[in-house]
Amino acid sequence: MSPTRPSGRDVLRESVGGQRRDIALGSLLGSGHQMGEALVPVLIGVVIDRAVTGSDTGALFRWLGVLAVLYVALALSFRFGAWAGDRSAVRSEHTLRVALVRRVLHPGGGAEEGRLPGALANIATEDAKRVGGVNTALMYGISALVGILTCAVVLLRMSVPLGLVVLLGTPVLLWLGHLLSKPLETRSGAEQERAAHASAVAADLVAGLRVLKGIGGEPAAVARYRTTSRDSLRATLRAARAQAFQSGMVLSLTGCLIAVVALVGGRLAAGGGITLGQLVSAVGLALFLLGPLETLAWANAEFAQGRASAGRVAEVLASAHGVTAGGRGLPPRVRGAVRLAGVGHGGLRGVDLDIAPGELLGVVATDPAHATDLLRCLARRADPDTGTVELDGVPLRDLDPAELRTAVLVAEHDADLFEGTVRDNVTAAAPASGDPGPAMAAAGVTQVVRTLPRGEDTAVSERGRSLSGGQRQRVALARALAADRPVLVVHDPTTAVDAVTEAGIAAGLREVREGRTTVLVTTSPALLSVTDRVVLLDGGRVVDTASHAELISRHETYRAAVLA
Amino acid sequence: MSDTSPDRAPGASAGPPAQVPDGRELLPTATRARTRAAVRELVRPHRRLAAGGFAVMVAATAVGLLVQPLLGRIVDLVADRHPPGSITLPVVLLVLVALVQGAATTAGLSLVARLGETVLAQLRERFVERALGLPLEQVEKAGAGDLTARVTRDVSVVGEAVRSALPELARSLLAIALTLVAMAALDWRFFLAALIAVPVQASTARWYVRNAVPLYAEQRIATGAQQQQLLDTVSGAGTVRAFRLEEEHTTRVERRSSAAAGLTLRGVRLVLDFYNRLHVAEYAGLAAVLVTGFLLVRGGSVSIGTATAAALYFHSLFTPVNSALVLLDDAQSATAALARLVGVADQPSPDRPPSPSGQDERSGAGDPRAGDPHRPPAPHATTAAVNATPAATVTVTGLRHAYEPGRPVLHDVDLTLRAGERVALVGVSGAGKTTLARLIAGVHRPTAGSVRVTTGGAVPGDGLTVALVTQETHVFAGPLADDLRLARPGATDGDLRTALAAVDALAWATALPDGLDTVVGDGGHRLTSAQVQQLALARLVLADPPVAVLDEATAEAGSTGARLLEQAADRAVEGRTALIVAHRLTQAATADRIVVMDGGRIVESGTHDELCAAAGSYASLWEAWSGTRTAHPTPTHHRGTHHRNSSTHHHSPDTTTVKDH
Repeated sequence: MSPTRPSGRDVLRESVGGQRRDIALGSLLGSGHQMGEALVPVLIGVVIDRAVTGSDTGALFRWLGVLAVLYVALALSFRFGAWAGDRSAVRSEHTLRVALVRRVLHPGGGAEEGRLPGALANIATEDAKRVGGVNTALMYGISALVGILTCAVVLLRMSVPLGLVVLLGTPVLLWLGHLLSKPLETRSGAEQERAAHASAVAADLVAGLRVLKGIGGEPAAVARYRTTSRDSLRATLRAARAQAFQSGMVLSLTGCLIAVVALVGGRLAAGGGITLGQLVSAVGLALFLLGPLETLAWANAEFAQGRASAGRVAEVLASAHGVTAGGRGLPPRVRGAVRLAGVGHGGLRGVDLDIAPGELLGVVATDPAHATDLLRCLARRADPDTGTVELDGVPLRDLDPAELRTAVLVAEHDADLFEGTVRDNVTAAAPASGDPGPAMAAAGVTQVVRTLPRGEDTAVSERGRSLSGGQRQRVALARALAADRPVLVVHDPTTAVDAVTEAGIAAGLREVREGRTTVLVTTSPALLSVTDRVVLLDGGRVVDTASHAELISRHETYRAAVLA
Repeated sequence: MSDTSPDRAPGASAGPPAQVPDGRELLPTATRARTRAAVRELVRPHRRLAAGGFAVMVAATAVGLLVQPLLGRIVDLVADRHPPGSITLPVVLLVLVALVQGAATTAGLSLVARLGETVLAQLRERFVERALGLPLEQVEKAGAGDLTARVTRDVSVVGEAVRSALPELARSLLAIALTLVAMAALDWRFFLAALIAVPVQASTARWYVRNAVPLYAEQRIATGAQQQQLLDTVSGAGTVRAFRLEEEHTTRVERRSSAAAGLTLRGVRLVLDFYNRLHVAEYAGLAAVLVTGFLLVRGGSVSIGTATAAALYFHSLFTPVNSALVLLDDAQSATAALARLVGVADQPSPDRPPSPSGQDERSGAGDPRAGDPHRPPAPHATTAAVNATPAATVTVTGLRHAYEPGRPVLHDVDLTLRAGERVALVGVSGAGKTTLARLIAGVHRPTAGSVRVTTGGAVPGDGLTVALVTQETHVFAGPLADDLRLARPGATDGDLRTALAAVDALAWATALPDGLDTVVGDGGHRLTSAQVQQLALARLVLADPPVAVLDEATAEAGSTGARLLEQAADRAVEGRTALIVAHRLTQAATADRIVVMDGGRIVESGTHDELCAAAGSYASLWEAWSGTRTAHPTPTHHRGTHHRNSSTHHHSPDTTTVKDH
């Protein structure tokens, strides 16, 4: 996207502009197809007139030949025109999807704030598709206009009054149909939504099947679903009746139009104003005209949807970054000295903290929210409201967040695993030359791998849900260790791990991170006991700093937080 | 290990779409014959509605076919030089036809929709009932996705078919059939001429369905993979950035999106080729009808008007033929989806469980599910008291289990949980704790041995015997109160509050925007993982079973949250016989008894102090876990604060006096 803060209009313009050649080609060929379709009933009339009425064999074959040529032309125009139009839509959709993902993954972040992952994924699929659909709508819309024009020219050349009846009658008919169905449509939209609710409830109950069975809630759930299903049935039936009414109404109106055309055309033909064949053509054209007119109405609805979708896409693309890149770079060799000076953010109040290069520091926060605030600042997902965080003397806010993350890795408690094998996940961010073995051993993944059906090559699916909580945590920790960053901050890495394994992990972690700065934000005594020093955060402030053993013996709050 | 490193370039690790793990056993799919029979069974009670709907639709279509002869009549009147006024009658008739056709179509479509929707509702209700009644073991063997896909995609595919494809197909087929009849009525030779198009159309349809069904299946997989990748990447955006995996993930999405786009375009090409062939059929048929008209008019056997009507008839066939052929593919996928739904809906209903497998030695009475699998909404006569159910004794004898033959995970486990006893199960991962918990909860049938649950008194109503709460959580979409009432349908607001208070959740629950009526779950108010677990515990309190099994029910929260959850869990199981799989040893240490498992066997059993004194594997576990703690107050002091019948539950961690010991 060229503008940095695009609007919905920009998104739409770029999407259409990027595919203008395909759209132009599609419109051209589509118009050819529409003209061809319009001429089919005309030719039927001509055959009746020139061949059937006068029993002229030569004329019959001549005009059937013309009809054949017409069919070849309209079929090929459709084939290649629609192809160009659909291709342009699919390409636009793909381009938008990739642009959206790039924006979401931008190191500055900010795009996913306030949006659920499902909603974002929906924008990248459904909305991108609708914006792409504008290309197709444009192509079909232009073709339909040309079809209507062709129809108009043919009819008016035949007879001005009959032409006017058809040309004015069809839009009036469509407009009437629209008018009649409008209130029904609004109602049926709302009712269909309620109908969709039933399937959502069923999916939700199945998703929670284990929980449900655990507490014996199946009969209650079945009863609840039945109520929802019946409600939905009633709503659907109302909607279906409305739709049936609309269909019947459109049929009646169309029939009346044909009757009017037959009346006017018949009288003209009887008076010798037009030929019999022209009467047949007029009736055929009146029926044909409904097609392109409906296409225009459809294209219009598509444009409206496309505009709304483009707006949603633009909102994501234009969302402000959470943090911005500063002008300074990292020193060529990061020592890993981290310094917090008067940091205030969220619940943190003037936190001062000096972490020496190579230190293994424990941080215990009495309030989990304060731990999260600290992690946000260290990861530079946000800049502190007051004070500064520095790495080797460079304030983080002066650094490009992408560059910062090559030096500082903050591994969150609920880190996601990605699709791929266990090994792929562990080595995802590891230096190409590194050996993931030590990291896997330290994080206890070696034992995990032994129990898995295909060892390291076992596929991880559904964001790691195919592993147990403890297995997932260990793989995530191994990934953080294997990434081998000068500074590593780990948050509660062993909450779902058994005690023996946890003790092993604590020792392994210390060994693997030897000489590089590591911060353990946790209240687990097993992990804290291997640290060089522990900082106690209480009420958002640093209230004490000492070794784990020292704090255990001298600080009651610490004991409460760690040993409960 | 480092030999693969060169391949680890960004983007190189994205594999093919997640493969189904080996040994999956998909849920049953009905045969074609069975699917047809099931549909007949569902329709039979509504056969008068079905017959009525069909008759009205036939009438509507038949009336509509009067249009072309009336137009032909006008042509004839003009050709025979009748006065202009003579065409008024056929025009009036045309208007009449239009009105009658519209009204009849409205009625017919309404009837067809009522039939389709009613049958669909019955099918989906039966499906959900049977799906929820499936043994968890069977669902797990099939993979979590199977049932979910059926309840979402298949139900919606069938619904969509009933809603739009079915009426449209019915109308088109009727229009085609009756139009051909009408052409034959004009002159049988027109009918023959029209049939020229049929071989082309039939072969085109066969060709299309043959290609479309696998292509669309492929498309669905590709779209699903794309969606999954998007969700992975977007919901893990923080992790992606932290590990600098932005490029790799963009490439992954790009690749999935390209694959989906490529398949979409293949589908487009297929449809376009399909229409191309239909154009050939259209031309052939139209030319044949025109030539026939020409010959018949020349021979004097039909009028020009009749020839016109025949040509118009054939021209009007284009639309229904095209839509019917396009719908063939919808019909095909709807039939496949229907077969999957019927496959599950045909499962024995929950009150008639499948006969136990030959190896299952669990006596009927001993199996908490088989003995009492029906469990309709428990009346819970005593709604006032939260814990009214007497505790039960659980006797496990010679229990053995293997998920795969030859790989046993439990060996001859004997264990008795006394009524009201709180037993903690500890051991390293893979020791068999979860398996034992699940066998006791009745999720799996043991390979050998038995689990017997003996209730001291009568369980109120048909209440649940053993409840299982695991670290796997789910918040049911809808008001919070409705979520809780799944555990006890008749619970009053007071009951809900009492249950929430028991697990320390009342404060945040009442502070929600709409209190207990706040919509939670998918699309609603987001709860923290600790709140979700408290909710699970509150459901346990409401379900009020004599036996509760908690499998690491507190593991998902961070360490600070875990402690609060453990306290909540302790209160939730109070007065019940409880088996708690604990990974935090403090939770174990406060239990009445600790059972240590290793390699699928029980290796130790006793109180915290007994086991510590025994210096066995628990003692070393405790050593490892507590680390520096030995020099400091031991958690045995918690036992003092944990009187089972005490009404207050202050879990003061600072208590330093050791009361009981």
